[in-house]
Amino acid sequence: METIIIDGLSYALPLFIIAIGGIYSERSGIINLALEGLLGFGAFTGGLFVALLGKYFTHAGWPIYLSFLVAAIGGGIFALLHALLTIKFKANQVISGVVVNIVSVALTGFLTSQINASVFDQPSNRFLLSVLPRYTIPVLSDIPVIGAIFKNVYPFSFMIVVLFIIFWYIFRHSRYGMHLRACGDNPQAADAAGINVYRTRFWAVVISGALAGIGGMSFAYSISTNFSPAVYMGAGYLAIAALIFGNWNIMPTLFACLIFGFARSGAYQLMRELALPSSFSDLAMTIPYVLTLLLLIFFSKTNKAPRALGEIYDKSKR
Amino acid sequence: MEEARVRMKTDEYIVEMKNITKRFPGVVANDDVSISIKKGEVFAILGENGAGKSTLMSMLFGMYEPDAGEIFVRGEKVKIDSPNEAVRLDIGMVHQHFKLVENYTVSESIVLGIEPIKHLLGVIPYVDIKSANKAVQELSQRYGLEIEPTKKIEDLQVYARQRVEILKMLYREAEILIFDEPTAVLTPQEIDYLLGIIEKLRESGKTIILITHKLEEIKRVADRCAILNRGKLVDVLDVETTSTAEMARLMVGRDVLMEVDKPKAQFGEEVLIVENLFVEDMNHFAVVKDVSFSVRRGEIFAIAGVSGNGQVEVADAISGMLPIKSGKVSLNGRDITDLPVKERTDAGISYIPEDRQSMGLILDLSLAENLVLKSYHDAPYSRGEILNKDAFLQHAKEMIEAYDIRSGGGATGMVRQMSGGNQQKAIVGREIELGSDLMIFVQPTRGLDIGAITGIRERMIEQRAAGKAILLISLELDEIMAMADTIGVMYSGEMQKITSADDITSEEVGEYMMGVKHA
Amino acid sequence: MPDSNRRGNPLLRFFGNQRWQFITIPLVAILMSLITASIIVLILGKNPLTTFQSLLQGSGFIPKPNYANFKNVFTDFVDTVDAVTPMIFASLAVAVAFHAGLFNIGVSGQMLLSGFVATIVVGYSPLPAVLAKPLVIIIGIIVGALVGGLIGFLKYRFNINEVVAAIMLNYIIQYTISFFINTRYVDPVSRQSRVISSASRLTLLNVPYGDIRMRIPIAFVIAILLAIFLWFFFAKMKPGFEMKMVGLNQVASRYAGVRIGKTLIMAMMISGALAGLAGVSYYLGFFSSIQPNVLTSVGFDAIAVSLLGNSHPIGVIFSSWLITALSRGGTYMSSMVGIRYEIAALIVGLILLFSAMSQFIRQRINALISRSDRR
Repeated sequence: METIIIDGLSYALPLFIIAIGGIYSERSGIINLALEGLLGFGAFTGGLFVALLGKYFTHAGWPIYLSFLVAAIGGGIFALLHALLTIKFKANQVISGVVVNIVSVALTGFLTSQINASVFDQPSNRFLLSVLPRYTIPVLSDIPVIGAIFKNVYPFSFMIVVLFIIFWYIFRHSRYGMHLRACGDNPQAADAAGINVYRTRFWAVVISGALAGIGGMSFAYSISTNFSPAVYMGAGYLAIAALIFGNWNIMPTLFACLIFGFARSGAYQLMRELALPSSFSDLAMTIPYVLTLLLLIFFSKTNKAPRALGEIYDKSKR
Repeated sequence: MEEARVRMKTDEYIVEMKNITKRFPGVVANDDVSISIKKGEVFAILGENGAGKSTLMSMLFGMYEPDAGEIFVRGEKVKIDSPNEAVRLDIGMVHQHFKLVENYTVSESIVLGIEPIKHLLGVIPYVDIKSANKAVQELSQRYGLEIEPTKKIEDLQVYARQRVEILKMLYREAEILIFDEPTAVLTPQEIDYLLGIIEKLRESGKTIILITHKLEEIKRVADRCAILNRGKLVDVLDVETTSTAEMARLMVGRDVLMEVDKPKAQFGEEVLIVENLFVEDMNHFAVVKDVSFSVRRGEIFAIAGVSGNGQVEVADAISGMLPIKSGKVSLNGRDITDLPVKERTDAGISYIPEDRQSMGLILDLSLAENLVLKSYHDAPYSRGEILNKDAFLQHAKEMIEAYDIRSGGGATGMVRQMSGGNQQKAIVGREIELGSDLMIFVQPTRGLDIGAITGIRERMIEQRAAGKAILLISLELDEIMAMADTIGVMYSGEMQKITSADDITSEEVGEYMMGVKHA
Repeated sequence: MPDSNRRGNPLLRFFGNQRWQFITIPLVAILMSLITASIIVLILGKNPLTTFQSLLQGSGFIPKPNYANFKNVFTDFVDTVDAVTPMIFASLAVAVAFHAGLFNIGVSGQMLLSGFVATIVVGYSPLPAVLAKPLVIIIGIIVGALVGGLIGFLKYRFNINEVVAAIMLNYIIQYTISFFINTRYVDPVSRQSRVISSASRLTLLNVPYGDIRMRIPIAFVIAILLAIFLWFFFAKMKPGFEMKMVGLNQVASRYAGVRIGKTLIMAMMISGALAGLAGVSYYLGFFSSIQPNVLTSVGFDAIAVSLLGNSHPIGVIFSSWLITALSRGGTYMSSMVGIRYEIAALIVGLILLFSAMSQFIRQRINALISRSDRR
């Protein structure tokens, strides 16, 4: 049970932060299938930072914390591409997302090999990261069962919880959040109220890139302790499924991510308990996806996307 | 009243638009138009649809920029390049199509863009909805625009949404208020109330610009009136000293012929029988409750009602667009309650829907394709699974001729490029050509100019004379009174009253529409 | 704007002709990406011309300086044809769904499942070629159509977003098949599924022709014929017309009497069937085994390839060709010019990026024209 909670959370939280990014983008009216590419590029910049500058820090903790910041910046910058394509160039949002993903995989693949070859003089397609420390909170972790939430926690988990609160607050209670939701529901109305729809959507997409970058960096650390093309394992698409399941609202999306994370760690634990050979882990891996699909069957009927989602907004056409 | 009017008038011009020209691809929307509006007056802008009224005012509100000409506000030359700039100049506008965020509350919608901000712990900013609610409450009481601040927009009726739009301007402390066709979708009683509000606003010193094509409204509230025709300014008149006939003549550019010649009705057997119809919307909310009526050959049966009282759902249920919860619909004696759309069409239903752009047409298909939207399965338009595009074109050519449809791109041009009036002609033509026994017209003349309106009404009379049963659903009481043989009034999903058109006045119909009078 | 074609600057006139914009605009996108790629190559200190030359050599469009035994420019070219076949099918799959207003992002999963089923049912059977090859194609069509149809059904019946359903199915298929391959069909040396019988393979290998040995991809012919048929299907056939209607406006289509559910499911079934064909021509043609736990990128690239080809069945043939040739030339280019082969993928990415902007490019060109007209 403990392992299920610990592993489940360490998977669910990065997924959740990516999904929050997706909610920002989609509630502003921009479909964001680019999350996969954004999280990958974010992880790439974070990994590059560690590879290039990690050795100059005397304290081992600094490169880790800074790498998340760099990943956020990298994801945010790469999101400019999606923002430009969809807002300025009026590209189809789904296509733009897919293209951004393809470019992300190609670009990071090229850059990682090129940089490894020309800077470090070694043929490799990955940047090595350090193993993250894990923390256990005294007292709280002693609570039976749910105490596991506070055991062996990755530092990024704390960070994500803090970011979640901040971005939930901005989404619900700030002026920007209110404008963002208006843009996704009725951009013409937002425009008439004096809101700059383009700018609001632009920042929403950039924020989604930054949050995806943090999620991507978390996965790079927790799953393989390096940046490699393996980071493109579909978490971005899963995050989209989670946010649709969560009806484009932050709280239900958290719930969806937790279900997914626990289904995943639970399935692995089951394999271990039953002492099944490792090849069965593939079968276990299908459980979260099957579960999600089944839940979608029951809950999609009442699902309502933001009204203006996917609609290309052109100020000059009303 | 008259005194007030005189007293508030000063000779100071608050808005001057000089030599304004605005072109859109293919049309000159405004051609060298100059108007000056005095502070504290109600200034009407009169013209047919497409005369350039809305375009002119959209430029004052910063939604378009003029290609040529100058705008002065309070004597100063201004460049209004966004609604923001207009708001800064204390200009507000209620658009014809309301611009409201559906899932916001009333007060959220009103404060959107200039939200009151408070700080959590003195540092973290948040939108203070509580004080917004209070401000909205006060404002609504001051101007008699009653509304509940915490209600969601999606739950509001049309007149209430309009109030939200008005409050939005007042919250922004606008001094110059533009109303774009505000009465088009209201009942007589609601119109009455709104005009009262406009008078009250003038008394409190606001300047009001009223875009309309309804002469009675101008006569009642306006001080002066500018008349536009095909983008050009015809004249600016003093309302008190001008007759409505004169205004109408100037507006249309010729003598008006509004009354369609309607011969006496000759009813045949019943074509459509609706019995105890119940319809639910997507959220399982009953929108049509226990409605029964019948339409005979040679009869125009008109359903009156305020927007959103179930009339459109009745049409959708008959045509098969909405599922019927319970009850029975029969056509020429055949039960069609559970038939799919296609089979109902084949059984003899033509349907001119309310929303011509999203239901009646596929805008990104060509005119020729849209004209066979319901008949492409049949010869000569297809044989087996293969379409005959030449037959499409031939048919389109005939229809363009017969129904005077004007399309810049001809038969292969996209319908999207056509004007609203011509789109409607295409739909009406297509539906009439089906030759169905029952023809449902929903809001057939909305947004059209007088020429097109007359044309479509004549078609309706023609079909009536040919022995078709016609179900007309309109929000415009004038249209109902002009066309109907029999009138049914719906309120809140229920049929309040069914009576011969000769036995009821428009005021009485209005009362049934408001639900204040019961049969 | 027929008048505009007679005036103004000739370049503008060329790109401004709206009849031809479906081809000129993608050309602009390709041109822009080649310029960008050239700049990158220059920054790396290499010659862009030799880079592009070697890309074309690597994919068999122009001859290399020398060849190994039994090889020449023609065998290289046919190898590219072999690789382009699944891409054409996959891009057609995306294009069909797109016409009906749907995104089939599950092409890769549909490819994998149909490839896998065909592999175990036919690939490991002793059936002779005359039976095996048609059977492989039929299985590809059926399995793909079922998965595609399932996605369409989930969308219509349960309102499940087709993108999400397809992604979930992708993973379920990927992991389930990985499990079966690893437990039952694995080749212990290659760690892939066991190689299929040559009788069942859709690509003939080492066919002697003069002094060369070459591949013959049978499915390529089917791909071309299908593309032509689909062009006819959307231009002249009732169900194609209905799909286009539904793709443009569901409410109006329902109003016109079209059965939306039937049309959506049918579009997804056709799309899935095409993806299935992509799968069998990929796993039982271009390759002869399946790597477990990997979804091919073909299905995702196909979305962008389809976009580059304007979702037009014939356009898709050309865009598939371009993208595949670029990716395949990469290895040779890398060895000849000394830059990393990943640059080829980057060029592909750039082309797709610029073609995503095609709507904007079109607007810009047309705006320029109307401005020069006014003068």
